Amino acid sequence: MTTLKVLLVVFVGFAGGLAVGTGFVAFLVVLGVIPRLTQLTKTTKRIHAYEWSAVAGAIVGGWMSLCHSVWHLSKYWLVPIGLLHGVFIGMLAAALTEVLNVWPILAKRIGVDDKIVALLMAIAFGKVAGALFHWLYFVDYFR
Amino acid sequence: MILLSAKQTKEKQNGDKGVKQMATTVFIKPRHRVQVKPGAVVTLGEVAQMTGGDGGLIRRLKAIPLYRIQPSDKNIVIIDMMHIVRAVLDADPSLDVQMVGPSQTIVEVVYEKRRFSMASFLLVWLLLFVGSAMAIMNFHEDVSMQQVHRHLYQMMTGQSVDKPLLLQIPYSLGLGIGMVLFFNHWFRKRINEEPSPLEVEMFNYQQAIDQYVILHENKESMRHLDDA
Repeated sequence: MTTLKVLLVVFVGFAGGLAVGTGFVAFLVVLGVIPRLTQLTKTTKRIHAYEWSAVAGAIVGGWMSLCHSVWHLSKYWLVPIGLLHGVFIGMLAAALTEVLNVWPILAKRIGVDDKIVALLMAIAFGKVAGALFHWLYFVDYFR
Repeated sequence: MILLSAKQTKEKQNGDKGVKQMATTVFIKPRHRVQVKPGAVVTLGEVAQMTGGDGGLIRRLKAIPLYRIQPSDKNIVIIDMMHIVRAVLDADPSLDVQMVGPSQTIVEVVYEKRRFSMASFLLVWLLLFVGSAMAIMNFHEDVSMQQVHRHLYQMMTGQSVDKPLLLQIPYSLGLGIGMVLFFNHWFRKRINEEPSPLEVEMFNYQQAIDQYVILHENKESMRHLDDA
């Protein structure tokens, strides 16, 4: 009976991981962040390495968040990690506005073809300002 | 690429008459999109590129009026390839007309350009700025990012802090960098000449609109029951 239970739990865990993993990959593919990065850096040949880096990152992150390991590193390691984290989320956000076709419609409807870069900057600065405001002030008042 | 020839029918006519003569060939390529002023008369030379025959013939053909823009036309008029062929053959039935390229021209009537006021631009700018700031805050709350960051800080350093700003401030700056990087704004000239996703997106949108108006504004492309 216990063996059966163990097998069942293993099966359920594996199935859950499989579903989440495929969802994650589908999300990355739809948003096209990896092709965009290879296009920027002209490293299309290395695209398989990038795939594996996304997979490895997902596995390491999943494992770390589940097993509560502690590494006792210097706190300054968090600066580059935070920066990379932000760049990745920023690219996801940018890709999302692109998939939703925000820009062409904005440009056509309001007629601001020539000022579109300024509007893009509005969104980028808005994200930075919103995030800083959130971490520096907002979190103190709503806990 | 569409290639249309009025040659065969003409050869038949000539054959019937028993007269064999070389017809002058004119190649006509309609432009994709042409801008004109309201009330203007659109001539063949504006709508299409032409070559063949002698200079005088081409000059004569280029001056053929095709259409006068009416106020009821609003923004878009489609000049169909058949309209062009008909106009050329009316001018000189002995010509051999060879059509190449797109099968119609989109004529865009440009009314006086609406000045986009600075005030409304600033309003849109502020709207996007505040909107995206709120959106990112809601996203952070939605995915409990504060807790994830605290957890990560503790995992890396072994200490527990309330506000892991050392992680969060670089993260916030990275957000902006990532967005700008995605739209290829800094590296456009330096790294490559490929269009940015934004430019490709604008192009695709314009193509879709062109396809739509080609089919829907062109009276000759569709036949309805009540048209008889």
